[in-house]
Amino acid sequence: MIISVASGKGGTGKTTVACNMALSVGYCQFMDYDVEAPNSNFFLKPDIKHIHKVTIKQPYFLSETGADFSKCADFCHFNAVAVVGDEVMLFSELCHGCGGCLLVGPEGAVREKDIEVGEVRKGIAGPNIDYYMGDLKPGSMRTISIQGDMDKALNHDGLVIIDCPPGTSCSMVFSVKDCDYCILVTEPTPYGLNDLKLSIEVLKDMNKPFGVIINRDGIGDDQVERFCGDNGIKILEKIPNKREIAEYYSRGESLIEYDSKWKDRFKAIIKEIEKDIGK
Amino acid sequence: MIIAISSTGTSLESNVDSRFGRCPFFIIYNTDNDSFEHVENQARQAMGGAGIQTGQMISDRGVKAVITGNVGPNAFKVLSAAGIEIYSGISGLISDAVQKLKDGQLKGTSGPDVQSHFGTGGGGGNS
Repeated sequence: MIISVASGKGGTGKTTVACNMALSVGYCQFMDYDVEAPNSNFFLKPDIKHIHKVTIKQPYFLSETGADFSKCADFCHFNAVAVVGDEVMLFSELCHGCGGCLLVGPEGAVREKDIEVGEVRKGIAGPNIDYYMGDLKPGSMRTISIQGDMDKALNHDGLVIIDCPPGTSCSMVFSVKDCDYCILVTEPTPYGLNDLKLSIEVLKDMNKPFGVIINRDGIGDDQVERFCGDNGIKILEKIPNKREIAEYYSRGESLIEYDSKWKDRFKAIIKEIEKDIGK
Repeated sequence: MIIAISSTGTSLESNVDSRFGRCPFFIIYNTDNDSFEHVENQARQAMGGAGIQTGQMISDRGVKAVITGNVGPNAFKVLSAAGIEIYSGISGLISDAVQKLKDGQLKGTSGPDVQSHFGTGGGGGNS
C-alpha cells in the first residue's frame, strides 16, 4: 500500500506526519519526494549507504559546422534555445532535455551530453525503514527527473510512505500518481483551507481516496472542520498546537518521542486507511 | 537604424512598458525615415523564457537598439549576442524616448537590471 502525504500549503506538517507514521510502524519504504527542499532526514536520521547522481540529456551545438540551428529555437516550447546572427545559445535551466533539437536540427550538428540535475540518497532509518531522499541541485528545475529516478525503486508490494512536495503542480501530481491513499495535512486557517481545496480538486481528478489531518489544531478557526463535515471528508487526526511539540520538532525529534501515545495513533490511522480502501 | 520600444499600446503616445519579455506590444521605429509599426509580443504568454523568445524576435527583425523599462538576465544575453544596444530604465511616452535617443541623451545599459521572472506579475510560488 502506497500512502502519499501531501498538502496544498507548505509548512503544514507533511514531513512531521510522514516521518512519524514511518517511525510508528518501524518497517516501510520511505520516499522523500519533496526534492526541492527535502528535510525528512532531520527526523528519520537515516544511515545513507548509497548516493547516485541523476542526469538528463541536453543538446550542444557544433556551431563550427556553420549549420543553421534556427529550427531548434523555433521548436523549443520552453524557449531554451535562441539563435541570433550566427550564434546559437542554450539556456540550460529551461531545457527539459526532450531531445527535440536532435530531431529537427541540422543532421550531425547537434549532439547530447549528460547534465547533472541532482542526486538520490538511499539508506536505512529506524528499525527497518528503507529510506530514499531526492535532492535537486540548486538552480535546476528538473524535479520530475529526480522523482522519476526514485519512482523506479518504488515498492509496490509493501507499505510505502511518500513525503510529497507542497502545492498542486507537476511534482505534487507525480508524487501522488501511484498512491492508494493520500493524506492531506492542513492547518485550520483560511490559507490552509484554500490550499486544501486546491489539493482535493487534484485528487478528485485523479480518483484518489483521501483523508485530512489537521495540524496545529487550535491556531485558527473551524472552517476546515466545517468544510470537511459538509463535504463528507474524513478527518483522520488532529495534532494540537503546542509549544512543546514545536520544541521537539525544532530539535529534530519526533512526536512519538514527545508522547508515545502517538505511535498507536499513527498505527491506527494506517489500519483505518487499509480498511477504507479494502487492502 | 531600427529600434524597438517595449510599449503599453500601439502608438507613439503609448508609454514605454516596464517589462521587456512580457510587454504587450513593441513599437518598431525606423529612425532613418521616422516610420513605425507595432507588433504584438507573442512571447508574453510563454510559460518560461519569455525574454529569450522576445529577444529572438527582436533580433530576427534586424533591430539595432532596444528601449525598455527593465531587462532580465536571459534577455540581456540574447540581445547582447545579437549586438543590440540596450537602453533600459526608461519610462514615459514612446515619442519622448525616441526623441531622446535621437538626441543622444540615452545611456546604454551594461547589464541586466532585474532578475528572471520580473515581468510575470508576482506570485511565483511552487512551480
